[in-house]
Amino acid sequence: MLAALTFLPVLGALLIAFTPRGAVALQRLLALFFTLVVAGLGITLYLGFDGSVAGAQQVFDRAWFTLPTGAGDIPVHLKLGVDGVSILLVALTAVLMPIVVVSTKVHIDKRVKEFMIWLLLMEAGMLGVFLSLDLILFYFFWELSLIPLYFILGIWGGERRLYATTKFFLYTVAGSLLMMLGVIWLTWSAQTADIPTLIEVAGTLPAAQQVWMFGAFALGFAIKVPMLPFHTWLADAHTEAPTSGSVLLAGVLLKMGTYGLLRFGIQMFPGVALEHSGLFMGIGAIGIVYGAFLAMAQTDIKRLVACSSVSHLGFVVMGLFAMTTEGLRGSVLQMVNHGLSTGLLFLLVGMIYERRHTRDFDQYGGIASVMPVFALFFVFSMLSSVGLPSLNGFVGEYLILLGTFQASPLWACIGVTGVIFGAVYLLMATRKLLFGPVTVEANRGLKDLDAREIGLMIPLVLLCVWIGLKPGSFIDKTSGSLDHLVERIDALRPVEAGAATTTPGEFALPAAEVGEIR
Amino acid sequence: MMALLPTALQDMQALGSADWIGGAPLLCITVGILLGLLAEIVPAFQPARGAAFVVSLLAALVFEMRLIAEPVGVVFQGTFAADRTSALWGVLFVFSALLAWLYGQRYYKTEKPFVAEHDLLMLCSVLGMMVMAGAEDLLTFFVGLELLSVPLYALASFQRIKNRSVEAGLRYFLLGAFAAGLFLYGASLIYTSTGTITLEGLREVGLTSKLGVLGAALVASALFFKVSVFPFHFWVPDVYQGAPTPVTTFMATGTKAAGFAFLLKIAFLLPESAAITLAVISLVTMAIGNLGALVQTDLKRLLGYSSVAHAGTLLLVVTAALVGDPDPEGPLRAALYYMAAYVFTAAGAFGLVAVLEGDGEHFTKLESLRGLGQRRPILASALSVFMLSLGGFPATGGFFGKYYVFSSTLRADLLFVSVIGVLLSVIALGYYLNVVLTMWMKPEPEGQAPPVAYRPSASFATGVCLFLVFALGLAPGWFLERFF
Repeated sequence: MLAALTFLPVLGALLIAFTPRGAVALQRLLALFFTLVVAGLGITLYLGFDGSVAGAQQVFDRAWFTLPTGAGDIPVHLKLGVDGVSILLVALTAVLMPIVVVSTKVHIDKRVKEFMIWLLLMEAGMLGVFLSLDLILFYFFWELSLIPLYFILGIWGGERRLYATTKFFLYTVAGSLLMMLGVIWLTWSAQTADIPTLIEVAGTLPAAQQVWMFGAFALGFAIKVPMLPFHTWLADAHTEAPTSGSVLLAGVLLKMGTYGLLRFGIQMFPGVALEHSGLFMGIGAIGIVYGAFLAMAQTDIKRLVACSSVSHLGFVVMGLFAMTTEGLRGSVLQMVNHGLSTGLLFLLVGMIYERRHTRDFDQYGGIASVMPVFALFFVFSMLSSVGLPSLNGFVGEYLILLGTFQASPLWACIGVTGVIFGAVYLLMATRKLLFGPVTVEANRGLKDLDAREIGLMIPLVLLCVWIGLKPGSFIDKTSGSLDHLVERIDALRPVEAGAATTTPGEFALPAAEVGEIR
Repeated sequence: MMALLPTALQDMQALGSADWIGGAPLLCITVGILLGLLAEIVPAFQPARGAAFVVSLLAALVFEMRLIAEPVGVVFQGTFAADRTSALWGVLFVFSALLAWLYGQRYYKTEKPFVAEHDLLMLCSVLGMMVMAGAEDLLTFFVGLELLSVPLYALASFQRIKNRSVEAGLRYFLLGAFAAGLFLYGASLIYTSTGTITLEGLREVGLTSKLGVLGAALVASALFFKVSVFPFHFWVPDVYQGAPTPVTTFMATGTKAAGFAFLLKIAFLLPESAAITLAVISLVTMAIGNLGALVQTDLKRLLGYSSVAHAGTLLLVVTAALVGDPDPEGPLRAALYYMAAYVFTAAGAFGLVAVLEGDGEHFTKLESLRGLGQRRPILASALSVFMLSLGGFPATGGFFGKYYVFSSTLRADLLFVSVIGVLLSVIALGYYLNVVLTMWMKPEPEGQAPPVAYRPSASFATGVCLFLVFALGLAPGWFLERFF
């Protein structure tokens, strides 16, 4: 099943490659068909997933080749599996793709065939990254998933697309090549490439070596997230990307970074991660505030949403490195939340851009009176992004802040201010865009959203509400794996610090409160 | 003259069956050369000339494959090693020549009457490469080196009506003569200090005296010239650009492989303290190659600089071998895999340059690649794959080549060197991607698109290269099990 999930899109891409160039409708239909099948498989996988199990499920395992080294041959496998860390992201990717395909109807009007091929290959790459249980296979998918986005950005992007796509590519490649050294070193010193085995044995390697390896991996993922000093590629890439590219970038691709930090940073080297958790929480917290300030200063709607991503992903990183039950659960959930709400925002920005071909705030104002349905959806997405209680963003941020507070009250307090700043810039943006008098004549004649545009957002909106009202059912899917991880982390904590931070029941949420969140 | 014949016959009788099997690939090619010459003299045989070329190389390939399965060891009285390693290199040389030849079909227009010379010279060069890779003493190697170089001087200036080509040949000749001098001087110093020039003897004695080390350094320099390593790389961009593209294809892949084959063999001659120097040289070579390529506006020249950078990366393997990889087979495996991937990738890339030149002289300019993705999507896709493989992207052979190279350096504890090397290869992606970007993302220039000259042999060669590049990238186990 997992193999089908990963390789069906490749099959689809091949099929599309053999269609005649002019058959645009057929190409769109094929892409939609394949993404829908994958989405169906993804949902089936999600529903059948047992959240209480810590290990990987639905494992697909085939021998690939053996990597010779002096000390013995390392078998490399085509090994795919899903566990609590990856299940939500896999489901998110699968569900988001058909929506992205539908969203391309207007803004991708040239070279549709190529676009659909790249889109499907990208889906294969992203699912491969989340599902791989072999380090070398993971690295394969990790690098391969770069190429489709490179083309999507470079061919169908905005005016400065060549600059943006080159910058995006070189940044991420620099990180991933250093990561390659980490991959080589780790597989060689542990004499295995199997990720579950590596998670067991990586902690037994010499401490100094672990720090270097952790550094190599963390740097690669930090660039992808992007964490603070490496965030500059993101704003350019997001701004220049076509709507569908932005949705994918925000929805899934950035999650590859946070997923990597969790899987290869925290799960594989819990000792090193714990030692440096303060640093990462700090970078995360500063990222939250810094991203918010960046967003406030933007005059371009799309750039604003892009900067808000930096802020939101700061939350995720902070929660991950709090390394507590709540922090981890909140972060994993927040990865999905960010995908949904930012995805919605990018879709909406794309829709208005398709009508007016400008993203400058000055060109808008009073849109709510011309496009009421658009305004409704925009306000909804904005509130979901801000973290209004009863919508999805609230649960994630709340859990993250709770978890971080147990680990480091200081960073949690700084992070909280980010929630406020987040409300400020998003509300400001909403006001500038939607309310007030209509100042620009061209805006008067704008058509409101049509059925297709509403239809493609409905699933995302429903998911936002569902997560907001019943987060428990989503969190439960992750609990087996994350609880096991927290046990391992707690075993590593120094004794005196352990007493001060987390012993469940004593310092964690009171039971009533947990029930409320669920 | 008559007196010589009996002695020659006696020598022939002295050859054992191992000598015949070990020397079979060399003999095949020699026969191919003779047949080619014959075909030139007897007009009736002329149509068979191409067949003689291909069949002799394929026969050599078959014998090399047999040697890989059952190596016979050192033959010809201790002068030539017919082992797995030299046979593996031999396979690469044969492929390099075949691919270059395929891309050369219908490439030459005014030189058409002389194509026979072209093919013969190429065969001589392959013979030289094989002798180099198998040489067990310095003089045998020198014979191979000259057998490789002299035909290449002529080949580089094969398009004699073009100034550029003649200049390339002259330049290559002058510097090549200089390198040959360096080599002989170094070999003589080694002989003076140790009294032997066989590798086996040198392994026993070791180079202890300063004179000997100086000799080894001179020998290494001559090899650096052949594989285009800093500071002996200056000729590369000019010669690669000036020489006819099929010849460049052959030079960039075959010559480089032959040089590295012997360099790895004689790495033990260098003292361990030379490792730092070697590491620095390889990093500087990578930097020069990559930075140089970054500013090029001509695809052929860009590939020339890129070939310098790749030589730098391969030299890292030699450094690892010198420092001591805990896996004794590691550096050799890394070098062979990297070189195999490079041979097929670079042959494909240079070959496509040759195809583009068929459309018109200026079509090697990067600017003229604009819109190629729309105009000739299959060619552009193939060239993109080769670019990504040169950059070391997964699913292509270049990835595992790079993987093995850095595995070897990391195992040899060269952490810092590996990190710098990896960062330098990020620069490389800058220009490889620029080619891809120009083909797919820049709008097509105004004006009439040139008529496309379809060349089946080139398409076939490109198909072979693509297949092998993907095979090396997707099924490395198949190659590792059989050949390494």
